[in-house]
Amino acid sequence: MLEIRGHARGGQGMVTAFEILAKMFSHLGDFQVQAFPAFGVERTGAPIQAFLRVAKKEILNRSNIYHPHLIAIFDESLLDMVPVFDGLKDQGAVLINTEKPRSAFDLPGKTIYTIPATRISLENGLGSKSLPIVNAAMIGAIGYLFEADLDVLQETIRGNVPSKPQANAKAAVTAYNSVLGEALPNPYLHDRLHNPGDEETGAYQYSEQTEPIIGIDAPFWAMPLSKNKTGNWRVVTPRYVDRRPPCNHNCPAGTDVRRFVKLAGEKKFAEAFETLYEHNPFPGVCGRVCPHFCEQQCNRNDFDESVNIGAIERFLGDQALNYPVLPSPVTQPEKIAVIGSGPAGLTAALRLCEKGYEVTVFEALPQAGGMMRSGIPKFRLPDAVLDLEIKRIEQKGVKIETKRRVSIGELSSRFSTVITAVGSHIGARLLLDGEDELSLDGITFLREFKLSGNEAGIAKGDRIAIIGGGNTAVDVARTALRLGAEAVIYYRRTMAEMPAIAQEVEEALAEGVQIRFLTAPAGLKKNSQGQIELSLIDMELGEPDSSGRRKPIPVEGSESTVIVQKVIKAIGQRFDEYAFDGMALKPRQGRIEYAGETPVFCAGDMAWGGTVTEAIGSGNKVAEEVHALLQGLQYHPEEILPDIVLPKDINFAYYMPIPKHRGVSKHPKDLHGNFEELSLGLRETDIHAESIRCLHCGDCYNCGNCFNFCPDAAIHLDEDGRLRIDYDYCKGCGICAEECPCNAIEFTLTEIAS
Amino acid sequence: MKTEAPTHSQSILKGNFATAEAARLCRVGFIPAYPITPQTTIVERLSDMVSKGEMDATYVNMDSEHSAFAAAMGAALAGERVFTATAGQGLFYAHEVLHAIAHFRLPIVIANVGRPSIPWNIWSDQSDSLAQRDTGWIQFYGESSQEVLDTVIQSYLLAEQLNIPVMVVLDAFYQSHTSENVWVPDQDLVDEFLPPKKPGPMSIDMENPKAFGGLVPPEHYNKLNYTFWRDAIQVEERAEQIAADYARMFGREYHNVEAINIGPQTRLVLVTVSSITTTARGVIRKYPDVGLLKIRLFKPFPKASVQEALRELPKDAIIAPVERNFLGDREGALFQEMQRALYGAPYRMYDFYAGAGGKDVPPETIEKIIHIARNNPQDVNWVDIA
Amino acid sequence: MKPANEFLIKDEQVFSGALSCRGCGWSLLVRHLASLLGPDTVYVLPASCFSIISGPYPLSELKANVVHTLFAAAPATATGIRAALDRQGKKDTIVAVLAGDGGTFDIGLQALSGAAARGENILYIVNNNGAYMNTGIQTSTATPYGAITTTNPGVGYKKTWPKDLMGIIAAHNLPYAATCSLAFLEDFRKKVKRARDTEGFRLLMIDGPCPPGHKTEPGDSIFIARLAVETRLYPLFEIERQHYKLSYKPGSFVPVDECLKHQGRFKHLFKEENKMLLEDIQSHTDDNWNKLLAMEKLAHVLGEF
Repeated sequence: MLEIRGHARGGQGMVTAFEILAKMFSHLGDFQVQAFPAFGVERTGAPIQAFLRVAKKEILNRSNIYHPHLIAIFDESLLDMVPVFDGLKDQGAVLINTEKPRSAFDLPGKTIYTIPATRISLENGLGSKSLPIVNAAMIGAIGYLFEADLDVLQETIRGNVPSKPQANAKAAVTAYNSVLGEALPNPYLHDRLHNPGDEETGAYQYSEQTEPIIGIDAPFWAMPLSKNKTGNWRVVTPRYVDRRPPCNHNCPAGTDVRRFVKLAGEKKFAEAFETLYEHNPFPGVCGRVCPHFCEQQCNRNDFDESVNIGAIERFLGDQALNYPVLPSPVTQPEKIAVIGSGPAGLTAALRLCEKGYEVTVFEALPQAGGMMRSGIPKFRLPDAVLDLEIKRIEQKGVKIETKRRVSIGELSSRFSTVITAVGSHIGARLLLDGEDELSLDGITFLREFKLSGNEAGIAKGDRIAIIGGGNTAVDVARTALRLGAEAVIYYRRTMAEMPAIAQEVEEALAEGVQIRFLTAPAGLKKNSQGQIELSLIDMELGEPDSSGRRKPIPVEGSESTVIVQKVIKAIGQRFDEYAFDGMALKPRQGRIEYAGETPVFCAGDMAWGGTVTEAIGSGNKVAEEVHALLQGLQYHPEEILPDIVLPKDINFAYYMPIPKHRGVSKHPKDLHGNFEELSLGLRETDIHAESIRCLHCGDCYNCGNCFNFCPDAAIHLDEDGRLRIDYDYCKGCGICAEECPCNAIEFTLTEIAS
Repeated sequence: MKTEAPTHSQSILKGNFATAEAARLCRVGFIPAYPITPQTTIVERLSDMVSKGEMDATYVNMDSEHSAFAAAMGAALAGERVFTATAGQGLFYAHEVLHAIAHFRLPIVIANVGRPSIPWNIWSDQSDSLAQRDTGWIQFYGESSQEVLDTVIQSYLLAEQLNIPVMVVLDAFYQSHTSENVWVPDQDLVDEFLPPKKPGPMSIDMENPKAFGGLVPPEHYNKLNYTFWRDAIQVEERAEQIAADYARMFGREYHNVEAINIGPQTRLVLVTVSSITTTARGVIRKYPDVGLLKIRLFKPFPKASVQEALRELPKDAIIAPVERNFLGDREGALFQEMQRALYGAPYRMYDFYAGAGGKDVPPETIEKIIHIARNNPQDVNWVDIA
Repeated sequence: MKPANEFLIKDEQVFSGALSCRGCGWSLLVRHLASLLGPDTVYVLPASCFSIISGPYPLSELKANVVHTLFAAAPATATGIRAALDRQGKKDTIVAVLAGDGGTFDIGLQALSGAAARGENILYIVNNNGAYMNTGIQTSTATPYGAITTTNPGVGYKKTWPKDLMGIIAAHNLPYAATCSLAFLEDFRKKVKRARDTEGFRLLMIDGPCPPGHKTEPGDSIFIARLAVETRLYPLFEIERQHYKLSYKPGSFVPVDECLKHQGRFKHLFKEENKMLLEDIQSHTDDNWNKLLAMEKLAHVLGEF
């Protein structure tokens, strides 16, 4: 007689497998068979046993199998939990569902066969996400050990599985051909089945019962059920994780947006400011002028509207007025020069100052701030905000020397390292005849107006044509409007392609700026009245170009002409090459090749980007790189894995729709001469209300769902108030992960598939 | 069986009323009830006494016998002394609860007024209670109203000592509705005999919460049965002891079995339970060589007491059980149990089906049985069915 | 709905280690229930999955007294316990029955009706998972129309509507009865508290998730329970002396398919030839919802709530 014992988990189909094997053996030959489970409380995932006897003659034993010839392990993870090998006969064999080599199992003297039954089953689509049903593959493998006829084996499976007969038969055949182990026939198993000889009998020895018979006087149940460790039912394990939210992922400055918003929601404004400041020394500026990539990708957009992160940032920045700044002591010998006091230069300077370097910033203009100072009109960014944030940097220890237009060559002897971050302050050209005399450069106009009040001769009632679609174009138009002019923007693409911040465009339109889309200048000349005749041509959009935007193509015969007093072009900017001492260099982020021994780095608009926040990010990165170089360390830019929380990962059932708090704006009837900031931001109460709209993507915020919904009382708060999963009891149902609102619990198949 | 007893008062009571009096005297606290003929006057009387404040108990009109017994089980677990009564179909309907009560080891006492199953018959028959032989309950069969009253009182003591429930069975109408002389003991005397119920191991204790009756895996279940068996085999001796104590205090003597005229002179022994016994007592006075063995404790069957009662019976004597039951088998319940108790003994035994479904068993029938047993007995004999 | 933003169970009244399947409703239901009823409670259990879940000898899940009783007899056993406790002056001790749908809708209905009609001071909890799950998913009279069970397999899916237990129980003029969902934990807990603090016979019916029985992913238990409420397949309401009040009115119409499609026991309904069945279920669900709205209106007319 052959005796086989199987070990599996409830739900893997072992009991069915043993029934099918019994039928298979009876079809294969004149065998008496007996298959039965160890009757018990079978719960999905719980360890279970089944038994199979096959004999050439009548089977005279109906008890459990204690000394099997073959042990079949359906689930490898049981090896550590259940004494699966107990009682195996001396010459017996084991069959294990595993991907491991046979040498991984320490069973001296026993024959080991392995079969990757889980993989085979998953490949054949057998089983659910949480539990692969491996029975067909195991039938195939056991069939192989006894060299069963494959047709009989397949036929028996097809006729007896509750569903998917073809897939089950296929899995069995694959398994039949995938068993690893000693060559067949295995003489011991073969003999037990075919030539059993004398039955082995148990070595029973009578012994007098000497101990008293123990009874149960009263059938009551008074021990804690926690002695029953259900953790060994688990196949998939949930884990708390910290996943990257799209706001953080999309902030060019690298800001931990989620964290500062969370802290703001807890009214910990100082702490929130510190978090923000770690990556962004210009929160007041960015809160006003950043296009907020964080908000654009906010997962809440898929629910109602994004969190007004900009308003929170602005509030935190403005709050900083009250916070003291502790100067950073100089602890490093190296002196560092930064050319340019824009967001990139000042950020890099601040970071290096914080690390103990002596840093000097050289600014060509009379005031520090770069494009923040010269390119952004006051009604968007009041000087006081910028002044305050620059002052904090100076208080930290950064020296700023203004009116110092310097080149690298002038500095290299005095400084260990030079960072150039001169920005892009030279306007691009239209390449049209008469351009230089008949048009103004937008960025120059903004700078001169802001720093010296030069209105460029714009008079009330003038008609001004602005060429371009970026923020400079819009800022020029809004400034012209405030000088009393009629401002018309001509843009060669459509609203959708406008690089300007959408909100700013909206505001401009609301103020009365006009925009003509799909129109480009074709020529300009002065007419007899001294007015400018601007020729225009209509455009249509073709295939996307290298920028990913659809390329505008002129429409033949669509030329028209407008009469204007001024044409201001704002079609892009480039950097001032003065710093490079006349060398033709293509700036890029980080260290650049430069003649001489002094290392030279590039950052900011001249290197990449085009917004304040990108420049800040650039400054942060260059500071890291400089520091690494000076300390002789390897510089590894932080690698950002694309594993970010997406809207599909959020359980929106747990969020209430709350309208976005938009903040108050002033709407003066007449803008003429009014350069006051219009947006007033959010009040403190609204800041709190807005902050708690955050979904906390990928970040446990102790909402209690996992604890409240755990059916197994397997989630606890530890002494520090942090959530912990008690793996002694967690059965791996996955409810915690499913009901986690913000995807801070990982629950994946990887561990069973491997 | 009258005894001078200054601590008693004499009444003329129907068996059912005597049963109710016994429950009152035992100070039962909870009575779940469901009516069935011929038990009804027991619960009516109890309900009446509770509503008049003559006894301090909670009486609940349940929705079935199944529910009544299940309620009894709950209250007993929660520590109350519980009583209920039923008959025939009611007992059959409660069958699964009887098992539960016994295996929960709850000391509940009930009265059953014996009657058979459908087709409808409401008259005297012991098939209902005998069909519950294997539920784990102790069974007493009473001969008179007096004996039922006394046995109920003794049963609470026995049940509460061994944590095994007791069923006291009386015959329909011949006892339940028969008014006769009954000595009702004073409350003080009963109180002295039967102390207030103490919490047992199977009692709900709010301070030490436990679960009762859940899943018992195979490796534990046999241990549970072993302990029950160890207590069940004490019943015979313990019941005899309690009856002796009772006799000393109350002046009325009972035994597990009673031997009348069984000695070296006896050639034939009739075996009876309940009311037939009384009639047989009268008949055998005419027959000096006929004895009578009355079985009072039926379950667990008092093997040692039976053997002791027949100690002096000559080896060639005949034993003739008189059955008022039919269990679908060749022999009736009395015959089966007597054979079991006398395995290996030399006596010839012939079974007599005589009184099922309330068929009257007058002295003539007893005499007919004596005649057949002596002259031309079959192994199994049906009397009076021609 | 919003997350509770708090840890609802302050004092865990169960031990871990319950023998429930993954994603079982029983364990979660009892965790919350027990935390609200506290240790001064006697639980009465007829046969059900929970008989097994709560621990094999000698282990016990609950930190309170538990009495296992016969399938048909829980309200009766509870009656006896209640009477005994009352006699002992323990009027504040709660007697709570934990039953499944089979033990309630079918074999236990007589005892339930008896205890309800007597006005026993008992809290009756029915975990309705719509079949005899403990014995392997056989049909009960609570099994939904269209569902497949092992005694209504394949084309033999259940072709009758489940009993209106709440209607039956309402007819007993109870002081309090309500339906609850584990996906609406705060509503559930509120109802448990109300039931706990009401005297007389109270009944709470919980929509019980059962992954093996419903053929669902264990992790989806709450998700599907929530859909059952949102699709109005399982409306949440309270009944006080036959006066109905809806506890939650879904904000928008969600077709029943949304809930049914996640459950393997309804898989066949999504075959083209069974389209009519889905329509039947939708219209029955709509009728039931409208009936409840009308009952609620009636309660207003009668001037209570």
